[in-house]
Amino acid sequence: MRNLFKDIILKLAEKDDRVVILLGDISAFLLREFASRYPQRFYNVGICENTIVSMAAGLNSQGFIPFVHTIAPFITERSYEQVKLDICYNNYACNIVTCGGSFDYAWDGATHHCYTDLELMRMLPDMEVMQPGSLVEFKTLVESQYCSPMPSYFRIAADTHNIAMPIEFGKGTLLFDKGSTLTIATAGPLLKNVYIACSELPVNLIYFHTIKPMDTGLLKQYSGKKILVVHDAFGLSEAICANIDAKIKYHGIPDKFCCSYGTLEQIREELGLNPEGIRTRIVKELMEWVD
Amino acid sequence: MPSNPDMENRDIFILSKGHASLALYCILAEFGYFPIDKVYSFGSFKSDFGCHAQRCSVPGVELSTGSLGHGIGVAVGIALAFKIKKEQRKVYVLIGDGESNEGTVWEALMVAAKQKLDNMTVILDYNKSQERSLPITNPEEKFTAFDCNTVNVDGHDLASLEQAFKATAHEKPKVIIANTVKGYGCKTLTREMFAWHRRSPNDEELKILLGELNEESV
Repeated sequence: MRNLFKDIILKLAEKDDRVVILLGDISAFLLREFASRYPQRFYNVGICENTIVSMAAGLNSQGFIPFVHTIAPFITERSYEQVKLDICYNNYACNIVTCGGSFDYAWDGATHHCYTDLELMRMLPDMEVMQPGSLVEFKTLVESQYCSPMPSYFRIAADTHNIAMPIEFGKGTLLFDKGSTLTIATAGPLLKNVYIACSELPVNLIYFHTIKPMDTGLLKQYSGKKILVVHDAFGLSEAICANIDAKIKYHGIPDKFCCSYGTLEQIREELGLNPEGIRTRIVKELMEWVD
Repeated sequence: MPSNPDMENRDIFILSKGHASLALYCILAEFGYFPIDKVYSFGSFKSDFGCHAQRCSVPGVELSTGSLGHGIGVAVGIALAFKIKKEQRKVYVLIGDGESNEGTVWEALMVAAKQKLDNMTVILDYNKSQERSLPITNPEEKFTAFDCNTVNVDGHDLASLEQAFKATAHEKPKVIIANTVKGYGCKTLTREMFAWHRRSPNDEELKILLGELNEESV
């Protein structure tokens, strides 16, 4: 997805001379063609995320469309106030494109894990928040929203699903409805594992790549019903709670730091977010969760 | 101290540039904090030894770092605590020049100078790796302007470093600018600095690198 980001941003810069990229000293080699072709619109600013976000606000104030790109926790957690005030409160727009969401930087440890980003961004007025789960979702959403008058947050994922579906900003997908009293909701690349877990179980499955604005039209079909949110971050569960009345449970991030290194798959397994772990939880709820 | 890493009157070292954890592990192992064999599990799932060290898992690690610009601020707090308690203990913190892009580094230095934390030494690993983005130019002038007692040394010369550590600070935090070469000792690593920032050699590459390292030390 990171390589795709490089291709997309090059095409956008070609057709739209308002596009400017600000890097936090990552992906500089990946984006070398951009740097070479558009030196006045490429800035490897440095490891100073607060200033990068503020710069994005300043650039947008003068008509540019900035892309801010670095590792997820360092923008959304470290520079939260800059996003909140310099961008959102001042009604400026920019595109924040991060990598290293959830446990994509597994082996770097807890300082590089980021599972609060989607919720932190969701809580900001007017922020558009997206967690693309596939390459085609990423492409569709970035191309559609990059010049939105609202600030937009996109996660680049290390892992992707390959489940085909119509893709539209702000719209979720009903993947299947088996007439069950239990609906599973998920977002982003974890759909790969959730789909495998659910496929032979008597549940319904709804999927979101856009956390905000939430597809209330889809959600309302499950209003008052039981929803188990399976997610490798915060943000989806809260978005669903904020938009409909339903009985909601969550299977995802525990209330403790993940201190393991290793790989994304190993951490997902430890957290019960591999297909087996998800399936176990769903079966438990099918058996025990009383209406 | 290795047998008692929480020894009360110890000086404190903080690796603020936390991604250099592997070097820290090797040094701690060398000093007997744990067997070096344990470090061979580096980066694997259930290992205590990962890319960024954790203070609660690894003896001798004083702070869990990884996000840049944090360790130096914590060092200021520790140094201040020593002053309040009138303890003669010292705190040492290693930062990177890339890390010095972070505003918190300069906030911390301002506070350290204001609080006259002459029991705190900052070592800047000045390997010029930020040439491609935001280099720290004239670091000696910058740190001096922030009211730090600043000295410039060859970061690969142990005698110079030792002398710098021993020099007194006179009511100012001390900054030692250690001029280093990224990958020092291996021609390949120094020549291809960015490519080797974050990768592991395969068997063939390892053989070459070890050969170069041994050649350098002869």
